[in-house]
Amino acid sequence: MIQLYHVSKEYGRFRHALTEVTCRIERGEFVFLTGPSGAGKTTFLKLLFREEAPSAGQIVVNGRNIWVLPSSQVPYFRRTIGVVFQDFRLIARKTVFENIAFVQNVLGLPRAEQRRRAYQVLKRVGLHHQMNAHPQDLSGGEQQRVAIARAIVNEPALLLADEPTGNLDPVLSEEIMRLFADINVRGTTVLVATHDLELIRRMGKRVLTLERGRLREGAPPTPLIREAPFLPQG
Amino acid sequence: MGINSRYLFGEAWSIARSGARQTVMAVVLVALGLYVPGLIVLLSKNLGRLAAAGGDPPAAVVTLEATADSREIAGRIAADARVARVRIVSSAEALDRFRKAYPDLGGALAELKEAPFPPTLEIFVRPGSSSAAGQIAEAARRLPGVETAESEEGFDRRFREAVRLLRGAGLFLGGLLTIAAVLTVASAIRLALDLHRDEIEIMRLMGATEGAVRAPFWLYGAFEGLAGGACALGLLAATYVAATRLLARHPHPVLSIFWTSFLDWPAAAALPLAGTLAGFIGSVLSLGRKAKV
Repeated sequence: MIQLYHVSKEYGRFRHALTEVTCRIERGEFVFLTGPSGAGKTTFLKLLFREEAPSAGQIVVNGRNIWVLPSSQVPYFRRTIGVVFQDFRLIARKTVFENIAFVQNVLGLPRAEQRRRAYQVLKRVGLHHQMNAHPQDLSGGEQQRVAIARAIVNEPALLLADEPTGNLDPVLSEEIMRLFADINVRGTTVLVATHDLELIRRMGKRVLTLERGRLREGAPPTPLIREAPFLPQG
Repeated sequence: MGINSRYLFGEAWSIARSGARQTVMAVVLVALGLYVPGLIVLLSKNLGRLAAAGGDPPAAVVTLEATADSREIAGRIAADARVARVRIVSSAEALDRFRKAYPDLGGALAELKEAPFPPTLEIFVRPGSSSAAGQIAEAARRLPGVETAESEEGFDRRFREAVRLLRGAGLFLGGLLTIAAVLTVASAIRLALDLHRDEIEIMRLMGATEGAVRAPFWLYGAFEGLAGGACALGLLAATYVAATRLLARHPHPVLSIFWTSFLDWPAAAALPLAGTLAGFIGSVLSLGRKAKV
């Protein structure tokens, strides 16, 4: 599903966000991407849905080399991917329903069908009673759940999530992870960037770790785990 | 893949509402921009109708007394070798001409008991004798039954020139103000883009095509122009009604010529159409520069 070959990303001459990253994620896998803040997790995800261009290397997503994809095809490519952004990126002047049904609305899906799908997906994240609310009327956690609902409403082939539980309490985080696992069971490839190592440990899935822009397979070494505030020191 | 019209109109309306003050300002400015050339077109059309009513203009016009024998006087004038022909315009024919030229005023004249226009003779001279019009008029003035005889050439030329000048000024001002309308809509779209910059980025990340991002702004610009053009037309109609009512209460021999009839429907429809086109062009210009990824 995802293949990166010697991918590097530099911001200016001296800031190397990613260096020589090569990896492969199979279709239907559930993978965690972890590492300390500034390790390049968000950049890694941005490259996968072509929000940013790599400085070097090739990226293949869902069988397509996305950097040779014509600009006119990018929107159609993005519709096959669900993305949960770290900062939610909800449209303030639209209601929760309108945010979730945006692509369906552009495509002309019947309104009743849009509402049915939005209701179902909101019910899965426990916000079906907030269909007509605006994002600014919701708490941070609720906004995050709306962002998750928007990402999964079109049943994407690939789900990318950047710190999806960052604003959620442990109980809700657990629920969201169960939701992702459920989506994964239905065939969607899931890649979650998080530094919540306890969550990673509980889920027991494959882990990729980024450290100073370099990728390696497996969970981070002990010192990084010690940095996590929710784990007992010692 | 096509764009759903419901989405298109919904987004355009949403953009208009999110910057309601800018939208109203743009509509008002477009309306004013189109009202002025519209007014000049209306005035020049009415004036032009007067100039075009007679077709090929006579060199001199002789006004007869009501009791005069028009055939006999016409015969005597036609005897001059320099005269090509003399046309007799009876009171009834003059009224008929007036009604055709000014349908809105013809009805009011019909209520008069006496014929409002005296019989006249229109004198056309042979080619090469145009300078003789003054002398022919002078000779006709001495004939019995002739009230007045005037050479028309100078007046007619000056009148047609004045109409041409007015039309030219209207076209120039119209072009200038249409450009202003285009720039007004373009700046309103730029403001709307600034207001929606973040969400345009989100829309693109969600998989919106360039068409889906831009089309609501095009539609918004076109509607702004359409609304401005419609307002200009309404304002023009209100001006016309007010002027005709005022002139009905206080008739004026010269001003009445400018307010005899309103624009015919193609000219009237041109205002909202010009507004729509100006709005669309304004939005395309604005988006061309600002909405690149």
